[in-house]
Amino acid sequence: MTTQVLHTNYAGQRGALFWLALKTSALTVLTLGMYRFWMKTRLRRYYWSSIRLGGIPLEYTGTGVEKFMGFLVAVVVLAFYIGVFNLILMFFSYSVLNNSILAYVASFVGVIPIYFYAQYRARRYVLARTRWRGLRFGIDPGAWGYTWRAILHWLATILTLGLLLPRQMFWLEKYRTDRTWFGGAKFTQDGTWRILLKPAMHFYIGTALNILAAVGLYFDTAFAGLFAIAYPWWMFGLIHLQFRGFRVLTWHKRLGNDIALRATVSTWKMIGIYLLGSFLIYLILMAVFAIGAIIFAIIASAGGLSADFGASFNGSGPPDPAIIGLFALGYFSMFVLLGVLTQVFITFPMMRHYAESLSINNAHLLAEITQRPRDEFAEAEGFADALDIGAAI
Amino acid sequence: MTFSPDTAQTIFADFFDGETARSRRVKVIVEGQANSASLQIFLPEGGQTIWPVRDVREIPDQAAKDSVVFGLEGDHPARLIVRDKELNDQLQLACPHLRRINKTPHLMRRLITTSVAAVTSVALIVFVLVPLMADQMATMLPTKGEQAFGDQTYDQIRQALGKDGDTPVWECNGPKGRAALTKMADRLKTGAHIPYDLRLHVLKHKMINAFALPGGHIILFDGLLKDAKSPEEVAGVLGHEMGHVEHRDPTRLALRSAGSVGVLGLLLGDFAGGAAVLFLTERLIQAQYSRGAEAGADTYSHALLAAADLPTGPMADFFDRLHKKYGGEQGLISHLASHPDSLGRSQAARAANTVGADFTPVLTADEWRDLKNICAQ
Repeated sequence: MTTQVLHTNYAGQRGALFWLALKTSALTVLTLGMYRFWMKTRLRRYYWSSIRLGGIPLEYTGTGVEKFMGFLVAVVVLAFYIGVFNLILMFFSYSVLNNSILAYVASFVGVIPIYFYAQYRARRYVLARTRWRGLRFGIDPGAWGYTWRAILHWLATILTLGLLLPRQMFWLEKYRTDRTWFGGAKFTQDGTWRILLKPAMHFYIGTALNILAAVGLYFDTAFAGLFAIAYPWWMFGLIHLQFRGFRVLTWHKRLGNDIALRATVSTWKMIGIYLLGSFLIYLILMAVFAIGAIIFAIIASAGGLSADFGASFNGSGPPDPAIIGLFALGYFSMFVLLGVLTQVFITFPMMRHYAESLSINNAHLLAEITQRPRDEFAEAEGFADALDIGAAI
Repeated sequence: MTFSPDTAQTIFADFFDGETARSRRVKVIVEGQANSASLQIFLPEGGQTIWPVRDVREIPDQAAKDSVVFGLEGDHPARLIVRDKELNDQLQLACPHLRRINKTPHLMRRLITTSVAAVTSVALIVFVLVPLMADQMATMLPTKGEQAFGDQTYDQIRQALGKDGDTPVWECNGPKGRAALTKMADRLKTGAHIPYDLRLHVLKHKMINAFALPGGHIILFDGLLKDAKSPEEVAGVLGHEMGHVEHRDPTRLALRSAGSVGVLGLLLGDFAGGAAVLFLTERLIQAQYSRGAEAGADTYSHALLAAADLPTGPMADFFDRLHKKYGGEQGLISHLASHPDSLGRSQAARAANTVGADFTPVLTADEWRDLKNICAQ
């Protein structure tokens, strides 16, 4: 390539995504959830291929079979861990403290390392199955290193009431980025954690206001009103830190020595997408629900299944299987529809904004990058699937 | 549209060889006939790559409508991105297996072996490993811990049996009834060696049921008291539950359940949720012990009754009635009826009798009425 800057365009279309999501969700319900691994795979293939950096789409090459097998393996490991671990905890908790509080706390705490572990492993699988311009992405193994770092950073963040959250974000991102590859070229996260201080400003103000309100409450109950400002501010600060932080971190990333990344994600745009999307989903679900209720009423009054309707509805008679069937159908349809609409009105536009805001500088250097070997990674993202981490996509 | 080598035109496409990220503008020609044809990909720097049409695949689920991505069979990373409609039409016609899915070797066999192995392992953990550990731990758990464990599960069960899940089920404490119950337990206890104080409860519930919890809790349901024809029947049941307590059966069961609950939650995707607690409660009320544990508790009860100079006949009558009432029904929620072999059980009870008809009743007629009315407020 001779171009210096590659821009990204987004080729996805809501209609196509809607039908793909609807079809695969319906299959997932019909197979009692078994198809969900294939559903996620197909949705990813679609999303990845929508993102076209310099006109060339990303490609997702993972398979449903890999994910399913990985899930099975993870379930066995987790069954052992949770079954045996819980039992031992229960025993010690009652032996030593004569209550189960320790067991419940430890049982929860025991899952935290698996959570981070699963997060890193899932990233490894997804990157190993992502390609662009014929080359594989990848990330070096390092899930345990990530796990203990994540735990220590979280501890520091919690103990400082969030003061060190930017530091945590930076170092964990650096840990991941510095191990990530595109073909034979390595990514590097430059900068220091202080580059996130400015994006964290609203988060800090929100935190300070909350503390002020809490302390003030000791002296005067009127301070309770302050939470009405403090909490939303804090919430906005947290969201802003995520998106602006992503932007700043991306600007400090490079591939190889000189290929630079640029992202211009906007917090307000993302909030707008979320609010508008939620509102649209709400309207559509309401409309569908109303139509469903009318159809139901027509069927019922037409006499098809009206005989015992009243009786089974108010519980005085035996439940009519036809009515139960209709209700179940309605319930699952709403459930499926909610998932599909979330993909179409929230995940899709957010992906689009992420994609369209991304560009690559010094892109002519890409031509020199060579292939990397395939990472078999038979476990896929089983742990993340078993613990339901990263549910959106 | 028909296609023959003569009409082949040269049209350009983007080519990535899968070895570098370099993008090449290539000329593509289809050459040869039918399945033996191949794509000739002419590289800009000279030379060419040949893709047999049989091996060409179209990458599925692509978002873009203005281009089609082609690859090769297997996991080959090379890609050909075709934006030209005419070339795409040509390729669609020339390549016979565009939509064939890459074959994973021995896919079915691997899927089945992995699934079977996974299900077997989980079953081994839940049904063998966890019970084995629970049995060991039940004998090692200090008495105080066991009592705390029991106290907590007792509260949970009362809560779960309550009408709307909010208010716990009523605990019956009519003072005269309690005195009668204590008298009965004291007479039975002469032959028992229970390491902690018995804690007897009567719950206002219609089910004909009684069960024990870790740490010496014994729970009788009002339904059982109402159904019993004589105090000796209740004494037989009480002795049976005291047997479970002394053998630490409930502790074993509760520990086993605690181990399996987490696994169940995992499989149901209800990771920290309420279904698990509900399941635990039901397991304890239902209390399906092993056949051996039930027989052990029965024998224990026979011995207690004998030591207290009480007949075992009424206990047998009670089980006979229970058997008639619930038949051999499976999945019942009364622990007392869960034993599959009720008939053999009542026969064993009768055979164990050591007392004639002239025994001193465990309760006087007045006390028996008080016990039956323990739930009257």
